[in-house]
Amino acid sequence: MKRSISNALVVLFCIWFFQNGVKPPEEAATDLQLNAFAHLPVKFEGRKKPIDTFARNLLTVLSDKQSVKNEAGEKISATQWLLDTISGRPEAMDYAVFRIENLDVLTSLGLEERKRFRYSYRELMPALNTLDGAARSAYGKADRQRDLYDKQIMKVANKLYLFQNVMASFEDPSTLPKEQLMAVAQRYMQLENYSIPLVIPPVSGNPRWRPLMSTLLAAHPAMNSVIEGHDVAVDPLATHIGVMQTAYREGNVALFNSELMEYGALLQRDNPAVFEKLSFEVFYNRLGAFMKSANLYLLVFVLSLFGWLFRKDGLLGAARTMMVCAFIPHTFAIIARVFLSGYPPVTNLYSSAIFIGWAAVAAGIIIELAFRKKAAGMGNLVGGIAGFSTLLIAHFLAGDGDTMEQMRAVLDTRFWLATHVITVTLGYMATFVSGTIGIFYIFAGLFTRRLDAETKENMFRMMVGTTCFALLLSFVGTVLGGLWADDSWGRFWGWDPKENGALLIVIWNAIMLHARWGRMVEQRGFAIMAVSGNIVTAWSWFGVNQLSVGLHSYGFTQSATFWLVVFVLTQLAVVLLGFVPTRWWKSGN
Amino acid sequence: MKKGVDFFLSLKLTVILLALSMVLVFAGTLAQVDKGIWTVMDQYFRCVIAWIDLYVFFPRSMDIPHVRIPFPGGFLIGWLLVINLIMVHWASFKIQVSGGRKVAGILFLLLGVLVTVGVMFGWGSAPVAATESDAFWRVFLRLGRGTLAAVVFYIACLLLYRKRAGMVLLHGGILFLLIGEFATALYAVEATMTIKEGETVNFIDHSQELELAFTEISNPDFDTVTVVSDKQLKNGAVIQPQDLPIDIRVNRFILNSTRPQPLSNIPEGLLTRYPQYEGHGSRLYVAEQPEVSGTGGARNAPAVDVELFNRATGDSLGRYILSIWFYPNFVNRAWDMPTNIKVGEKDYAVYFRFRREYITSPSGNPYSIKLLDFVHEKYEGTQMPKDFASQILLINEGDDVNRELRIWMNNPLRYARRTFYQSGYLPDNSGTVLQVVHNDSWMIPYLSCMIVFVGMTAQFIQSLSRYVKRRSAP
Repeated sequence: MKRSISNALVVLFCIWFFQNGVKPPEEAATDLQLNAFAHLPVKFEGRKKPIDTFARNLLTVLSDKQSVKNEAGEKISATQWLLDTISGRPEAMDYAVFRIENLDVLTSLGLEERKRFRYSYRELMPALNTLDGAARSAYGKADRQRDLYDKQIMKVANKLYLFQNVMASFEDPSTLPKEQLMAVAQRYMQLENYSIPLVIPPVSGNPRWRPLMSTLLAAHPAMNSVIEGHDVAVDPLATHIGVMQTAYREGNVALFNSELMEYGALLQRDNPAVFEKLSFEVFYNRLGAFMKSANLYLLVFVLSLFGWLFRKDGLLGAARTMMVCAFIPHTFAIIARVFLSGYPPVTNLYSSAIFIGWAAVAAGIIIELAFRKKAAGMGNLVGGIAGFSTLLIAHFLAGDGDTMEQMRAVLDTRFWLATHVITVTLGYMATFVSGTIGIFYIFAGLFTRRLDAETKENMFRMMVGTTCFALLLSFVGTVLGGLWADDSWGRFWGWDPKENGALLIVIWNAIMLHARWGRMVEQRGFAIMAVSGNIVTAWSWFGVNQLSVGLHSYGFTQSATFWLVVFVLTQLAVVLLGFVPTRWWKSGN
Repeated sequence: MKKGVDFFLSLKLTVILLALSMVLVFAGTLAQVDKGIWTVMDQYFRCVIAWIDLYVFFPRSMDIPHVRIPFPGGFLIGWLLVINLIMVHWASFKIQVSGGRKVAGILFLLLGVLVTVGVMFGWGSAPVAATESDAFWRVFLRLGRGTLAAVVFYIACLLLYRKRAGMVLLHGGILFLLIGEFATALYAVEATMTIKEGETVNFIDHSQELELAFTEISNPDFDTVTVVSDKQLKNGAVIQPQDLPIDIRVNRFILNSTRPQPLSNIPEGLLTRYPQYEGHGSRLYVAEQPEVSGTGGARNAPAVDVELFNRATGDSLGRYILSIWFYPNFVNRAWDMPTNIKVGEKDYAVYFRFRREYITSPSGNPYSIKLLDFVHEKYEGTQMPKDFASQILLINEGDDVNRELRIWMNNPLRYARRTFYQSGYLPDNSGTVLQVVHNDSWMIPYLSCMIVFVGMTAQFIQSLSRYVKRRSAP
């Protein structure tokens, strides 16, 4: 009875926790219809998405956040920020959205260091020429010749160029005088070679997505005098967006709303399919399931830690329920990504992180449900910490923009993504799970009296079991990767860094199992080896990617390199702790 | 003696060898920051003794002395592992059955071998195999055939080894994989084929081998080609090809040369030491540069500095720099600059080029490929490639093959023991570059993957069920 009440309370708490922020702010009919605007389609980086996603991703790339604060300190949504900016509202220039954290770069641009490192476009303006010059010189160098400053300058310049290109693609050239049209037309043609948002969807008679500025330019009444034989084509969709922007800039709410409704109605009539999946994606964005699950997993971990150390079954039970409650939205969000992007769940580092977390939590739940007595909360501990940390990693990886990007030609094969990538990622996961149990083993043995003979034996068996799975999955995954390579360019094994990374995991797992079968290690030794497995896996997962960017400098240039080194050092510290003789272990004998 | 045998029999050796292989793989990965993949492969993996550069383990900004550490190479570790594996199994996995069961086991073993060999050499696949509809089934079927072989072997192991069947099978699979990779290292050949739209090509370029080709073009009806392999192009060597009235003295073989540039662009200081060449070298500057590193995908551009002599008279025909840059297929047909020389009445066009092989089917008939169309599709509004595809016509008159096929990313054409992969394209999408691989052991990984998978799964399920059973017992 007590147990079901506590479980019910946990479930209610989780439901409340997840529904936060899903509902958009109330909008009366006379208010700006921002919510409707956020649902409009746009094609960017090859994928159709709602304005909401586009604005969030753009803002994340620039500032690492999905919202921005105005002068008064009020929170502005990404969509509103985008509208302010593309329509040319005066306050848009003052939003501090450019994150520049390198001090040398700041100095060279004449900016003061400040908390959170975010600067507005107005502040950047005097330094634009300096930035452009420095960026050109950095781009001119070979990768090896670039130093930390060059790389940081390029990073800032890329943000700036992206921002400028997006702004330019929403320009409204309708009122330009005739003499300027030629130059503008050339500039637009240049711009179309870059990745810019295409906001005019295909409609009857025009099968392509088009950017706003060129479409409006084509409708300019003076264009036929600039380009011979040009057919002045007025595009009603583009006109509506153009008027919407003007209305928004001038604060004409009624006009903005009516244009928006007409635009929506027109599109609904001409190409209703374009609205497919958009509302769902907005819902997915607002749910923000991954970050919320991450918070709950942390809570699960903390609760379970107490429950495990002090053998409180009630606490462990509640934590288990909470883990399942956080796992359901986590699962839902992964399925949603598959549905939205049309690709299998793992396509890039970001999605590998959320998938590894998901699988680790699933493993935790399975351990708990299948071996509840023996696991005694170990599944909670592993699932909680693994779920939290991988989702946190994913959060930091999301700064590159759209996490549901389209795949380059050679990677664009759903079969191999679904088989090789999933298996090898599960292999990473199993190795990490085994390593995490190893860490608990060492800590619990060294610092607490919790690690009695029975617990030792149980934890050992769990490690061996997961290592067996890790070996199976990483072997099959690696070989499937080789088969993919054979299918793509005829080389099963090319000693490519990423292949080698996966091979190292396979060999390490094989070493662990052989050492155990040959009785070269007992429980403690196996735990130490399992922790070392974390290093091997982290190297394969992230280290190999750093190789091409900055191994020759090892320079901590990329924050990922820095965190990788930190992670490896912590794992080495745990390994060393594991070597402390057992007579100094609290759970010693 | 006994001690030595015991050492080979121990799992300790397995663990040691595996640990050594990890160090080797790690070092070989780090080395790719500075060196090309083929150099690394020869220096670390495809050798008996590897020489590990000490500096690979340190940041390149640190000044590490240039020390090379001898280390067991890929072949040595691989063979020791194979010996160790076989001996451990010999000693500890004895066949424990006799009579009918043993006979049945051996029969299944033979059947397994039969299925494996059949799968390896094309049972169940078409002579001209290109993806026509779903790529997915093609790979699935191959894995399915591998599974079939694995299951037959598993039954054999179950009959012969009872409880240890999974263990024996999975190690057998590993052994097979190692042998397969060894065979690939020795016998697989990679080449390329460059075709412009509308062009028909009947040869491949072996991009790992080079040759000096002298084509006699004085006869209007036919050309006579004489080639000198790059193995002969040693510094200081004098080569006297039989069918050629020319002697070649090699001044220098350059592993990687710069892109030729007009002499007028070169600073005066560099020119003073630049040799007086005839031909393109008299107008263009070609110099040595460091070898390319592995991660970028760039490749070396070899060149050779030679002096040619008229054999009959002994007169010098001049000193020439012959760079692979002058061969059209090196960089996407960007340059085509034969070096023309005249010996007596005969005119020769000389190329330093990839070794050329004219392709034939197993029946000995020559065939060719015509590129009908090349498609390079991008994602809308981006420069990101979505698809590369070559629409080709495969023509082999002798074998009566004339088929229109499509080769695109992840969907190669397999024909006449060669596989043609979409690999690159010419500027403005005017043509395609195909990677052409000849590797008879390409099915081994498919087979061994499934063999290991079946063996490991069987073994783990067995352990798990034993654990669960013991748990439920009082």
